[in-house]
Amino acid sequence: MTISMSRQRVLTTLVVTAALAVTVVGCGSGSSPADSAAGSKQGEVKFWTLQDPTNTVQQTAVDAFNGTGTGKVTMSVIATDGYKDKLRTAMGSSQMPGMFFNWGGGSLNDFVRAGKLVDLDPALASHFLPSALAAGKVDGKLVGIPSRGTQPVFMFYNKKVFTDAGVQPPKTWSDLTNLVQVFKGKGIAPFALAGNATSSWTELMWVEYLVDRLAGPELFNKIQAGDWSQWKDPAVLKTAQMVKELVDQGAFGKSFGSVNYGAGGTSTLLNKGKAAMVLMGSWEYAVQQGENPTFAKDGLGYVPFPSVEGGKGDPGDVVGNPTNYLSVTTVAPLQTATDFLKTTYSDSYVQGLVEKGEVPVTTNAREMLSKAPDPAYAQFQFDLVQKAPSFTQSWDQALGLTLGTPLLTEIQKLFNGQSTPEQFVSAVSELKK
Amino acid sequence: MVQNLRARRAASTLGRPGAAWAIPGLVFFVVFAVAPMVGIVYLSFTRWDGLVAPEFSGLENWSRFLKDGEVLQSTIVTAVLLIGNIAVQLPISLLLGVWAAGKQRNRAVLSAIFFVPLLLSTAATAIMWRQLLDPNFGVPAQLADILGDNTDLLGSRSGAIACLVAVTSWQFIPFHTLLYQGAARTIPETLYQAASIDGAGRVRQFRHITLPQLRNTIITTTTFMVVGGLTAFDIVLLLTNGGPGTDTAIMPFKMYQTAFRIYDYGYASAIATFLLLLATAASLVLVKVSGYDKMTSTLEGL
Amino acid sequence: MRTRPNYLAGLAAFGWLLIIGVPLYALLNTAVQPRSKYTDGGPLSIPSTVTGQNFVDVVDSGFLHYMWNTILVSAGTVAVVLILGIPLSYAVVRGSGWVTTGVFRLFLLGLAIPSQAVIIPLFYLVNRMGLYDTLWGIILPTAAFALPVSVLVLSGGMRDVSGSLYDAMAMDGASPARVLVSLVIPMSRSSIATTCVFAALQAWNGLLFPLIMTQSSDTRVVTLGLYNFVSEYGANVPALFAAVLLSAVPILIVYLFARQALVQGLMGVGDK
Repeated sequence: MTISMSRQRVLTTLVVTAALAVTVVGCGSGSSPADSAAGSKQGEVKFWTLQDPTNTVQQTAVDAFNGTGTGKVTMSVIATDGYKDKLRTAMGSSQMPGMFFNWGGGSLNDFVRAGKLVDLDPALASHFLPSALAAGKVDGKLVGIPSRGTQPVFMFYNKKVFTDAGVQPPKTWSDLTNLVQVFKGKGIAPFALAGNATSSWTELMWVEYLVDRLAGPELFNKIQAGDWSQWKDPAVLKTAQMVKELVDQGAFGKSFGSVNYGAGGTSTLLNKGKAAMVLMGSWEYAVQQGENPTFAKDGLGYVPFPSVEGGKGDPGDVVGNPTNYLSVTTVAPLQTATDFLKTTYSDSYVQGLVEKGEVPVTTNAREMLSKAPDPAYAQFQFDLVQKAPSFTQSWDQALGLTLGTPLLTEIQKLFNGQSTPEQFVSAVSELKK
Repeated sequence: MVQNLRARRAASTLGRPGAAWAIPGLVFFVVFAVAPMVGIVYLSFTRWDGLVAPEFSGLENWSRFLKDGEVLQSTIVTAVLLIGNIAVQLPISLLLGVWAAGKQRNRAVLSAIFFVPLLLSTAATAIMWRQLLDPNFGVPAQLADILGDNTDLLGSRSGAIACLVAVTSWQFIPFHTLLYQGAARTIPETLYQAASIDGAGRVRQFRHITLPQLRNTIITTTTFMVVGGLTAFDIVLLLTNGGPGTDTAIMPFKMYQTAFRIYDYGYASAIATFLLLLATAASLVLVKVSGYDKMTSTLEGL
Repeated sequence: MRTRPNYLAGLAAFGWLLIIGVPLYALLNTAVQPRSKYTDGGPLSIPSTVTGQNFVDVVDSGFLHYMWNTILVSAGTVAVVLILGIPLSYAVVRGSGWVTTGVFRLFLLGLAIPSQAVIIPLFYLVNRMGLYDTLWGIILPTAAFALPVSVLVLSGGMRDVSGSLYDAMAMDGASPARVLVSLVIPMSRSSIATTCVFAALQAWNGLLFPLIMTQSSDTRVVTLGLYNFVSEYGANVPALFAAVLLSAVPILIVYLFARQALVQGLMGVGDK
């Protein structure tokens, strides 16, 4: 039968109390690492990495390391789309991994400030190219070791489209604006651009290069160091105006707002000759290879981003992802982790990466490049990076997502005409008070 | 069956399940859903980046919420999408459900096909549509003759909103259809027969028998759509990412973005709490206004 | 009985078939083409080359194991929802006092809890209970979030059982348990079937809970497996579509069986 009123109340109170207790207990102590492995030097290191074609190379290195018996590394591959969410959630709890793949720069700032990362042995640094190490350092301390190839951004083009039009790839900005007219006249989109809001990082690349060419890398370095007022520098406004000009002239085609990156989007536009060029990171080659291997081998051309007349920046400067890094957290047995990190510059690991088409940033990489699937392409990238006076990291990685996410939104608004250049500048300046 | 008053009063307490029947389900739900939500409400009064312990910050998040210009814009677009979804999904699924309830065999086969969109995960559906809506290689390109120059569907505000409504409806109409189908099947044939004898045609039968009998289901599905519109955003995340710009940044999307892209969990929790209150209020209103919670059956009086 | 076919309805149904069918055709069409060819024609054209390689690739990626995990998770979720939800809905519909209105309102509130918002406290909870990286760590939260909808649907179905039937059994001295088993469950078969399908779907398509609550490939479910084909720089579209199609097959089978139960359950309605 029905329970009497007082017993109902008791039950309700019990249920509510239990629930509250569980929540409070759950949230309160979530931030302290409970793993007993924290104190020991050797043991098992849980290693989280992003899913991508180099996973096989990583797994080989892990297996080889485990075989030496000095410690154990367990690798977990995590799907790209959820990697950052999962990492962030875990880093605040006892499920923190011991070692993880990351993009360096701003993405590590929060972790360092929260005391979650371990400073790495500076002796490791001598095995890598200096420009690549920069984004692995936070506040001057080394917290990330390069573990992958470099990914500079440069201009890809469809060789056949250029030959048919009788023109050469652009070396200067005025070359570029001329080409825009030429290709428009032929009904070909001069540039493919993934303007869909899910891919606004592709638009970021244009802004990064233009600001660098106009004002040099110092401008963004100051912003990254904390001087947010630098966004009001005239070079930023000029960049925004140049972008608007390109858009208005139809340099990106008419429907770029719905175009996605990759297969079925910009990459297909390029290999079918519907677009002449695309500004993209070096991974574009791999994407083209997956979709149209013949085009990737014979029809795909590449040149550095053109110089801009009157600009202060060195035309040899490069933007992109210097590399990806491995960082070690406070729960990992430090000795094992450090020993494993030494494998990232071992000949076998570097060679494995080269064979996958990556261009590693280790000092011993140059000799191995002849074994790359496309040696000319690998050499081009290596030279580009080695000779670059500066290699600016992608701004959204360098600044960290907290500032990077709204920045990308403002850039998207600039490109699709929702913001004027002036509005763009003022909106971005407002992002950080 | 005639019952006298005394027997009725006795029967009203006999054989009824006591509160104990509800306890296991209730405790489970409280532990796994309500308690975490209480945690979120607590977090809305803190500042937290997910890495170090939350810091109590009083009403800081809430006053920021009330002053935030983007909140208004976000609320408007949330409302627009919500109304659009209801306006499209309700009539179509109702009609489809009633149609599917019919006993003809071809209807059974077709209903199975119609159900497939719901079987595809929301994430996969959104990615599929993102490809299909490509202006150069997707469906708009092949239909360029009809659409003309206007293939940039996701690049404009109205286009993006229309696409979101279309994709959401495409995926979720089967769910509501299922509910209507089940409900329509329970409408006794006797009602229709009586109406036929009285000379009522199909349309009149629909208006005067089918619709009233489906009243409870209409309330249920509308409640789901309202709640869905205030909590679901996967399709927005994968199809438009809140764009172009922030044109489709509905509140649930903003909440997710603030938590998992900007790492401001305190503020995100405030948004989440606000959405919770809004959605609950809306469903309570819907239910009260329609008398759904009086537990009366639509079959009373038969 | 109506013997005239309803032409208007037939036409509308055909129209809807096109709306559903065309994208599904595009899905299937792309899934059977090789990666290098599928952009040659539009998504709606007839493929020049047809291959089963994408499906092979999907299976090779461990998909069958993920499907098995997902089947376990779905079965577990449905079981938990039914075991807890049926008695609860029964109490809501036939109970009295605070149980009826209070619990019902609580579940309306529960409908509105956004699962993405509570993921972090939930993560701590699952951790503390030692369920991290287990299938139960997915089943329990998924079932909890499927419960409000299920309660709404189940109580709707139970409410339609005529009051006089309840009273008749009560007069015969039946306990609430007997009423539940011999009267309520058989008469609410259609809403139970709907609840099963709904809960199974929630589990099958769940992405956030498996993503955060599991880690190793042992406990990976199908939705995470789909992301094997989406990399940082774009998707292997044909393989992805093939995986999407494969993942829909088991739940389609469940639906087909549930429909049978739906039809059979309704055959007894109206017999007084």
